[in-house]
Amino acid sequence: MSVVNYSTREITCKIVYYGPGRSGKTTNLQHIYSQLPEERKGKMVSLATETDRTLFFDFLPLDLGNISGFNTRFQLYTVPGQVYYAATRKLVLQGVDGVVFVADSQSRQLAENIESLQDLHENLADDGFDPRTMPLVMQYNKRDLPAEEISPLEELDNKLNFRGVPHFPANAISGGGVFECLRSIASIVLARLSAPAAKG
Amino acid sequence: MAADEKDEGAEFADFMADISQEISERVESLDAALPAPAPPLARKVATPSPSSDAGMILDWDNVAERMIEEML
Repeated sequence: MSVVNYSTREITCKIVYYGPGRSGKTTNLQHIYSQLPEERKGKMVSLATETDRTLFFDFLPLDLGNISGFNTRFQLYTVPGQVYYAATRKLVLQGVDGVVFVADSQSRQLAENIESLQDLHENLADDGFDPRTMPLVMQYNKRDLPAEEISPLEELDNKLNFRGVPHFPANAISGGGVFECLRSIASIVLARLSAPAAKG
Repeated sequence: MAADEKDEGAEFADFMADISQEISERVESLDAALPAPAPPLARKVATPSPSSDAGMILDWDNVAERMIEEML
């Protein structure tokens, strides 16, 4: 994990959007991409099946240019949510600096959210990271659905956010909450620039 | 798209402003923590602290860890 390189004056942050299938991870990246000014729009790599499910991963490089003498890049990834892509998720997590966990607010998806969160922790631990200290924010997506179909925010927080990390309601399709999450995870990751390295 | 959506690019501009400020503050704190390029010899004149190692190197473990990490 390398966040800052003094010799080349570069800051590179790898942020992974994690969560169960169809929770809205790719939609988050698509909204961010839609907001980029033309001069910063690189290529968003998205590998999807014919049914629009993420097959491998999405990758969105965000070149923020020179900030305070540092050439700053954010690399945003999603993982495929389906359980049978476990190997891909482990691969994408390598070298991660921060995670946005995109939870599906639908009540019937609670078990999938919990399973995906456990999967995240296992994969982080396997890769030598301490899941308890990895920069993390929670996004409770699909808050635009009818109230009877979704869990209250308090319930989601009780069931999923046992670390008490920053959490945001979102509606990624319209963009609500998307940049709030990105800003929060970026801030937490950047805070490590002046904190001891925390891997392991 | 949502009715409350900002103008295209406005969200990114806000994000950039926040991140730029964050990085600027962090870089300042890093510059303060890193060893100075030219040691200010004059500082050695006044050493009021009773501790012999006080003030020699600030946050050395932090700096060393990053240097090692970058060499890997």
